[in-house]
Amino acid sequence: MKRTCLSLLLALAVVLAPRAGGAILYIDINAPGGKRMPVALPDLVTASGDPSLSAAVPKVIADDLRMTSLFEVLPPASYLERILPAHFAGKPLSFPDWKMIGAEAVVIGKTEARGDQVAVEMRLYDSTLGNMMAGKRYVGPAKSYRTIAHRFANEILYAFTGVRGIFDTEIAFTATPKGGRGKEIYVVGLDGQEIRKVTDNRSFNLFPRWSPDGNQLAFTSFKTGVPAIYLRNLQNGSERPVVKFGNTKTPGSFTPAGNALFVSVSTGGNSEIYRVHIDGSRPEKIMGGWGILVSPSVSPDGKKIAFVSNRGGAPQVYVRDLGGGKELRISHAGGYSTSPSWSPAGDRIAFTSQSGGRFSIYTVKPDGSDQQLLASADGDCSDPSFSPDGRYLVYTFQKKGYSELKIISADGRWGKSLLSGLGGLGSPAWSPRR
Amino acid sequence: MGKRGVWKLGAAMLAVMMVFALGCAKKQAVKSSETAGAPSAAPSGQQPPGGIVSEPVKPESPAAGKQMAAAEAGAAVTKEMPSAFADIHFDFDKSFIREDARPVLSQVADYLKKNKGAKLQIEGHCDERGTAEYNMALGDRRAESARAYLASLGVPASALSTVSFGKEKPVDPGHNDAAWAKNRRAHFVLK
Repeated sequence: MKRTCLSLLLALAVVLAPRAGGAILYIDINAPGGKRMPVALPDLVTASGDPSLSAAVPKVIADDLRMTSLFEVLPPASYLERILPAHFAGKPLSFPDWKMIGAEAVVIGKTEARGDQVAVEMRLYDSTLGNMMAGKRYVGPAKSYRTIAHRFANEILYAFTGVRGIFDTEIAFTATPKGGRGKEIYVVGLDGQEIRKVTDNRSFNLFPRWSPDGNQLAFTSFKTGVPAIYLRNLQNGSERPVVKFGNTKTPGSFTPAGNALFVSVSTGGNSEIYRVHIDGSRPEKIMGGWGILVSPSVSPDGKKIAFVSNRGGAPQVYVRDLGGGKELRISHAGGYSTSPSWSPAGDRIAFTSQSGGRFSIYTVKPDGSDQQLLASADGDCSDPSFSPDGRYLVYTFQKKGYSELKIISADGRWGKSLLSGLGGLGSPAWSPRR
Repeated sequence: MGKRGVWKLGAAMLAVMMVFALGCAKKQAVKSSETAGAPSAAPSGQQPPGGIVSEPVKPESPAAGKQMAAAEAGAAVTKEMPSAFADIHFDFDKSFIREDARPVLSQVADYLKKNKGAKLQIEGHCDERGTAEYNMALGDRRAESARAYLASLGVPASALSTVSFGKEKPVDPGHNDAAWAKNRRAHFVLK
């Protein structure tokens, strides 16, 4: 039934085919610092239903576009043309009016109530050529209007750059619930909105890691009193243990195919790295022996892992070739370097390092060259996690018990606060694309 | 068929589409009909891309917070269990047994040798500095270090177990050298 519905939806979608075809790439996403694309984002037309969506949807889109540093959203007070329902029924926009205020592109939309659902039609026009660059109609629960807005922001970025946006991705993290003493796992949108609790068992739930399809989280929980690694299905809330052997255990990362998990498990005080099938079977020791080996982070091609070892006397980040077994130390920032995160783009590894009494975030090429300081502050910056496009990182900022999650662009030019106000914020993990 | 006709047909089809969307969207997924756009991450036939997860947005309500606090009292794992023995302490990023820990460990060993059948859980803890994962492994190593020392004093292995809480359960909430020194510890709990 579901499949039938989907194919019908796809068949009907043809109706809204764009009038002018041919993808023109307007912005080179790899050349930051250039002129920003001026875009107009007028309020949506409310055909029926909640009128507050009219301004709320463009605001979410504007915030998303600002994150790219590629767009300039023009002030609504300067707009000359009012958007009407007729603009969604064949009446063309008055493009010279938009060109006059400097808008190279116009984003318009219309909302319509359908019971507790909302239909949102969004269109992106090139005001020079007068053609529709992207158009989509979304139907969903009214309360999920933010997701709809994020999705269309993805379309806008794609239309201009040919690169898919990440605006509807999410961050998993851990925090101490209000009035509680343990740690629970939460998920939040990139705009710091729509926080939801994933675990609720009043023990320690730590180190969330996303499956490649974004449907599952692996994490360590002390809910039985003894730590184990669990896999939780975010769609239906079901949860099952994956790793119960050994003493202390932490999930590292899923293999790119998603069928196995790199984890660290300790026995007899030595923390070793294993690959375990996601049903918990076939644990295979990848690296072991004396000392602490933790935080395996796999390369996007699945051929290498970055990890932490203290065999040199203090923790440092290494890269190991899973085929040949060759190892290379890649952190050279300070006497204590941990928590590697391999960029999904493959080109860099981020890690935390202590120098001058504080923890900062560095990035380095997987061969150990070109190490750069990315985030440093009056306090500690730690636990970096890359966005699925490799263009941003989320990390933890801490100072004397205060904690905050922050986002920074991978080139360090742009940053913002994601979330504060909960205690013990930490271990942020960026979801894959939806 | 004129332009207007196409749009009328489109509108009719959309109405049909919405009925379908309502009919199938038990999971409250956002469905979209597209004219152009980015390729989707999920192959078709699966969950609609970015289908909204069944968990609703639940902002923390004061009532929920209260409930949680009330339930907290019974949760053993998030409370420091009182101990008959003093904690032993460790140097930063180290797990070796210091000289000042030996008298405590001798006392623990004597007790366990006299009281056959007693079970001891050794908790390993760290200070707040450094990353949570590494500290989890370091706490494990500290607990193991204490376990090995007790075993060397003749305590049977069956009487001892270890667990690491990493940096998750500081005994001193401060953010200074004195607090950190107290928090780098092994804590002994008789079971």
